[in-house]
Amino acid sequence: MVLKLLREVLKVGQATVPYPFVPVEVAPGFRGKPEYNPEQCIACAACTIACPPNALSMETDLENGVRTWSLFYGRCIFCARCEEVCPTGAIKLGADFELASFTRQDLTVQAEFRLAECQRCGAYFASAKELEHVLALLDQAWKGQQSLSEDDISARKALLRLCPECRRKVDLPRVKELVHTAWPAVEVLDGRI
Amino acid sequence: MMLRPEEKTQRGQRYVQALRQQFGTIIQEETWQAPEQVTLTVDLNSLPAVVDAAYHQHGGWLSVVAGNDERPLNGHFALYYVLSVEGDETHNGSEPESCYLIVRALVPPNKPEFPAVTPRVPAAVWYEREVRDMFGLQPVGLPDERRLVLPDDWPADLHPLRKDAMDYRYRPAPETEDETYEFFDVQGEGVLQIPLGPLHITSDEPGHFRLFVDGEHIIDADYRLFYVHRGMEKLAETRMTYDQVTFLADRICGICGYAHNVAYSNSIERALGISIPERAHYIRTILLEVERLHSHLLNLGLACHFVGFDTGFMQFFRVREKSMKMAELLTGTRKTYGMNLIGGVRRDILKEQRLQTLQWCKELRQEVSDLVGMLLETPNIVQRTQNVGRLEPQVAREYSPVGPTLRGSGFPRDIRVIHPYSAYDRVPWKLTYKDGCDVLARTLIRAEEFFESLSMVERCLDTMPDGPILTEGFNYTPHRYALGYVEAPRGEDIHWSMLGDNQKLYRWRCRASSYNNWPSLRYMLQNNTISDAPLIVASIDPCYSCTERVTVVDVRKKDVKIVPYKELERYCRERKDSPLKA
Repeated sequence: MVLKLLREVLKVGQATVPYPFVPVEVAPGFRGKPEYNPEQCIACAACTIACPPNALSMETDLENGVRTWSLFYGRCIFCARCEEVCPTGAIKLGADFELASFTRQDLTVQAEFRLAECQRCGAYFASAKELEHVLALLDQAWKGQQSLSEDDISARKALLRLCPECRRKVDLPRVKELVHTAWPAVEVLDGRI
Repeated sequence: MMLRPEEKTQRGQRYVQALRQQFGTIIQEETWQAPEQVTLTVDLNSLPAVVDAAYHQHGGWLSVVAGNDERPLNGHFALYYVLSVEGDETHNGSEPESCYLIVRALVPPNKPEFPAVTPRVPAAVWYEREVRDMFGLQPVGLPDERRLVLPDDWPADLHPLRKDAMDYRYRPAPETEDETYEFFDVQGEGVLQIPLGPLHITSDEPGHFRLFVDGEHIIDADYRLFYVHRGMEKLAETRMTYDQVTFLADRICGICGYAHNVAYSNSIERALGISIPERAHYIRTILLEVERLHSHLLNLGLACHFVGFDTGFMQFFRVREKSMKMAELLTGTRKTYGMNLIGGVRRDILKEQRLQTLQWCKELRQEVSDLVGMLLETPNIVQRTQNVGRLEPQVAREYSPVGPTLRGSGFPRDIRVIHPYSAYDRVPWKLTYKDGCDVLARTLIRAEEFFESLSMVERCLDTMPDGPILTEGFNYTPHRYALGYVEAPRGEDIHWSMLGDNQKLYRWRCRASSYNNWPSLRYMLQNNTISDAPLIVASIDPCYSCTERVTVVDVRKKDVKIVPYKELERYCRERKDSPLKA
C-alpha cells in the first residue's frame, strides 16, 4: 500500500501552481466579471428586472431628466441573466474573476442617460436612447408596408414622442373614431365610454 | 409537465382507495398535482391517524412537512405532510407502485393548534418544531417543545412566515441576552457532557453538539443547529420573482446546489404543466451526476482524513479537481452552476465539451479506482469504520433518513429509482445499497456510486437526443402548487412550491437532505467512543466548515470541559493523548 502510494505521489509530482504569480486558466465560456458597454446601452431596464441578486439597479430622476444605471459587483452572482435579456448586447460576461478591492467604489459602475422630453407638455418620460432605438426598429418594421401611408407613419412616430399622459389625450379623437365605427350606438365622452 | 407519454395514468390510486376505505368522510378532498402527486385534505383531528396509516401501513417515508399561511386564500392555515408512499415489501402480490401522497389539514386561525404527528411518526419531530416557530401553530402532544429554527432572543409572538408578520428585512430587537435553549440532561452515575461546537456541520449551519459520555463512551447526544438561518424562504416569497428563485436555490448548498436548482425548477414546471425538451432532461442528468462526482470525492477524502490517512486526503482532493474542471467546462463555473431556467436549461453541451468530458471521465475512473484501492488496503480503515456509528434499520425506518445514510442500512431507496425524474428512467444504471449499517457501509456506497455516476455521465453524453433545450412561452397560473424532488449526493432534496398571483411564489418550502439525516444521528453516536464522533458525523456527509470546539461533560464528576474541535479531530486521527485526561 505504502509503496503504491509513494509511486503515485512521485508520478504526480507537483500538483499545485504558484498562483497568484502564475495566472490560472479558465475554461472557454467561463462566467466572470460582467463587462458593460454604455455606448450600446439604451437604459431600457430589462437587465435590472432580470437580475436575481439586485446587483443591477436603475434610478430615474424626473426633475432633472436623468436616469442612472448602476452595477454593484459586490452583489453580482455571475449568472449572466443580464447578458441573456439585453436587447442590444451592452453587457457581456468576461473571464475576469479577480475582483477583490479595498474600496467599495471600485466595485461600482454607473452610467447616466438623458430622458426624452414630451413634445407637448415638456415632462420627462423615457430614456431618450431607448425611444430612438424603438423608433428605428419601427422604421424597419413599417418600411414597405402597403397599408401605412407616409403620413400615418409620421403621425404614429410623433405620438411616440409624447409622454403617456399626453399620448392618451392626443390619441383620443382617433380612438373615438374607431369606437364609433365599431359600435355606432356607443357615445364617447371625455375619454369615457 | 414532465408528463412522459408513458405515464398519463395516476400512480398511487390504490393507496388513495385504501385510505378512503379506512377513513371514509375524514378525507374531504382529493386533488392531483401530477401523475404521481396527490393531495388529500383531511379532518384536522385525524391528521396523525392518516399520516400514521400512510407511513406504517403503505410503506410511507416522510419527505417534508410544509406549513402555509393560507388565510388570504381560504381563511385558514394549512399543513402539508408529504410522504413518499412506496407500498410494503410484498406489495400484496401486485407490481410495486410509488407516489407522493400529501396529507393536508386546515388549521383555524382562531385556534392555532393541531394534534402532533410525532408521537406516531417520530420522523415529523423537526418539522413540527419548525412549523411552530415559523407559523405559531402549536403541535399538541409534541414531546420536544424546544425551538428549532428561531434563536433564543427572537420575540415569542413573531412568526416570520405568517403573511402579516414582518418584512423580510426586519430585525427585531433581541428579547434576551442569555442562551435559554435547554439541552437534554442525561442523568446517571459517571455521565459526562461534551459540548461539541458551535460547528459548521451541514452546508450553512454551524451546530452545537453535546455528547454525554461515561469515560470514553458516548451514552447519548443532543445537538442544536440553525445558528445561521438565512431566511431564504421568506426572501424568495417576498423579494424575488419565481423565475429568479432558481438562482437562489443554487445557493442553498455549496456542494449540491444544482440538485436544489433542479428540484425547484421541477416543482414549478409540474405546477404549471410545462413540458421540457428531451435534451434538457439529459443535460440536467449529466450535470447532477457531475455534481455527485465532486461531492463523493470530497467525502471520500474526508474519510481518509478522519482515520489519519492524510496523504490519501490530499490525493482525493487532487483528483477531485478534475471533476471541478468538468463542471467549469460544462456550465461556465465551478459551483453554483446557474444552468436552469423554468422550462429547461440555458447552455447546450457541444461536441468539444462532450469529447473533453468523456476523456476526463476515463482518467477519473482510473485515478479514483487506484485511490479507493489504497484507501481500502489501509489497515486502519476497516478497523476504524466497521460496526462504528451503527444506524439500525428499525431506527432508520422510523426517522426517514435519506441517501447513502439510509442505503447503508439495507434500504434500496433512491429517489432516482422510486420517482424517476430527468433522464434517470432513460439510461440504464445500477442502484447501490449495503446492509452493514455502519460508517464503512456508507463510505463504500459513496465509492461505488462515484463509478456509477461516471458511467451515467458517459451514457447520457453518448445517447442524448438532439433538439431544443428550453421551453418558452408558457403561462403563469396563480396558486398552483407541486413538488420537485432530486436525489442529491446526500439524499433526497425536496421542494414544495406554490405560486402567488404576482409573478412570485406564495410559499416555497425547500428541504435539504441533511435535514432528514440529523434526527437519527443521535442514535448513530450512542454506544461509540468519543474519538469516533467526528468520523460518525462525517459519515452522514454534512458539509464541514467552521468547526470550532467541543464541550465534554463527565457524568461521573459532573463537570463540563470544553475541548477545541481541532483537538478532538486530532484525537480522532491519532487516538492517543486523550484530551479528557489532562
